[in-house]
Amino acid sequence: MRSKYEGVKNIFIDAVEKSSYVELETAAYNYSILETSLLKPLKMVLLYGKPGTGKSMLLNKLYHNLKESREIHYFNAPILSEKEFLRSIYESMSGQEIPHNLRVNFDGLLKYCQKLKEKREIVFLLDECQLYSEALMEKIRLLSDTRVIKFVITLHKTDDEDVIAKEHFKTRIWEVIEMQNADEYDLELYIQKKMIQKGFVEISNSIRKKDIKYIYKFTKGNFRETNKYLYTIFDIYEYYEKNEPKKIPKKKFSKKILEMAALRLGYIHA
Amino acid sequence: MHDINKLEKKWYHYKLKKVMFPITEVAVVVFFMGGAYYAYGTQKKIASITPSQPLTRVLGVTKEVNLSEEDIDKVETVTVIKEIEELSLSPIIPIIDMDKEERIEKVSTVVKSTRQHVPLVKAKPNTYLTAKELAVITKVERRNEVLPHVTKKMKFQSQTVNYYEMMTEKFLKTKKPREALLLAKAYYKDGKYKESEKWALKANKLNSSIEESWFMFAKSKAKLGKKREALKILVRYYNKSRSPKAKILIGQIKTGKI
Repeated sequence: MRSKYEGVKNIFIDAVEKSSYVELETAAYNYSILETSLLKPLKMVLLYGKPGTGKSMLLNKLYHNLKESREIHYFNAPILSEKEFLRSIYESMSGQEIPHNLRVNFDGLLKYCQKLKEKREIVFLLDECQLYSEALMEKIRLLSDTRVIKFVITLHKTDDEDVIAKEHFKTRIWEVIEMQNADEYDLELYIQKKMIQKGFVEISNSIRKKDIKYIYKFTKGNFRETNKYLYTIFDIYEYYEKNEPKKIPKKKFSKKILEMAALRLGYIHA
Repeated sequence: MHDINKLEKKWYHYKLKKVMFPITEVAVVVFFMGGAYYAYGTQKKIASITPSQPLTRVLGVTKEVNLSEEDIDKVETVTVIKEIEELSLSPIIPIIDMDKEERIEKVSTVVKSTRQHVPLVKAKPNTYLTAKELAVITKVERRNEVLPHVTKKMKFQSQTVNYYEMMTEKFLKTKKPREALLLAKAYYKDGKYKESEKWALKANKLNSSIEESWFMFAKSKAKLGKKREALKILVRYYNKSRSPKAKILIGQIKTGKI
């Protein structure tokens, strides 16, 4: 028989999937801005924030929601080679596969885009753009200037370096959406919704406010970190369920296991 | 799976540390507070037992102090005395509590015994003579009585030369205005105004914000007969600092007190 804690544990595996998206108030607000910005005549939309704030999730949701209604392509992993990037763009636009011995000429691609002006509007969602070179970013800008391609890009915001301050980002007209870590209330909703969505209502109800507070203390509302922490918690739960079920409290969420997981992840030290 | 056991051990260790740390912290605080309280208590107890203190004070303090066996009786006296006071306020009931009676008796003996220890302060005999007595005193006797008190000047062997040497040496080492000023003061006291003036100037050169250096310099000048110069210096300092002390000193020099 499959352990119930194994099931809960697996919902916290960090994966960018439509099914694991949790609708939170702030995320819903950001999503609505993102969706309406696609209707505006903007060339580029920037989605930025610290790692683990839900940028990729939002991009993924946007893709899945719009893929039926408009021409949209999602590059969830950065394509660092310029040759490969141009090939992928062209293939996505034309729907044709280019033989491996041929390559896409950038000028040719620009001309191709110009021909499609006012006929088609294609959206490209590019994740992890901080990894793209400046030269490639410049080409992306030139492609967006044709007004045939719209780019929605995500960037990591780091404490020591503000990426959007870079010249090629600064001088363009953007719709800028900043993603932030969840607060305690949002984090509680996130955890509960995630579990209830998959039918683990009982376990979700056993988590008290002070447990959320404890989790928040270490994860600071970062979704990726929260997933990692909860995965570890339920991993320990699973072990006890299989080997020493007496050690699992029946009604309450175990503080001991919370602390053990924190110890394992190095949040606290013995 | 083996990892969980290790993790559990680690958790026990963490818990122990978490629990023990505040306990040790509290224990240390209690230990020091207790120590301080004990030290304070014994000090007060010693002070309270001294015979020169009035009895009421002794009893008052014994209430607060940790008592030794000898003092237990004294504590009892306090409580019993309170009881007596209370009794006097309460309606009189013609029942005699023999135990209380015994205790009251004991109190009185204790109080007596403590009183025995306290030396009685004898009244100072009247030193004034009556008119009758005055009339008896002869003229010679009266003269002897009324002789003015002559204060004898004690002559101390001064070590000033050593002091000057020591301070000069110190000043040469440290180059601090404090030493120079001390030397100036010492010379001034000894009436060596020329030297005093010199050292006050040195102190002032090192730190002109020291008020004393200005005053010593001016006073030395005044003593050397250079009153105009002294006043000039003081007026200059007063204009700069508005020091009331400087104003007083100016007045003293003007009136010739210095």
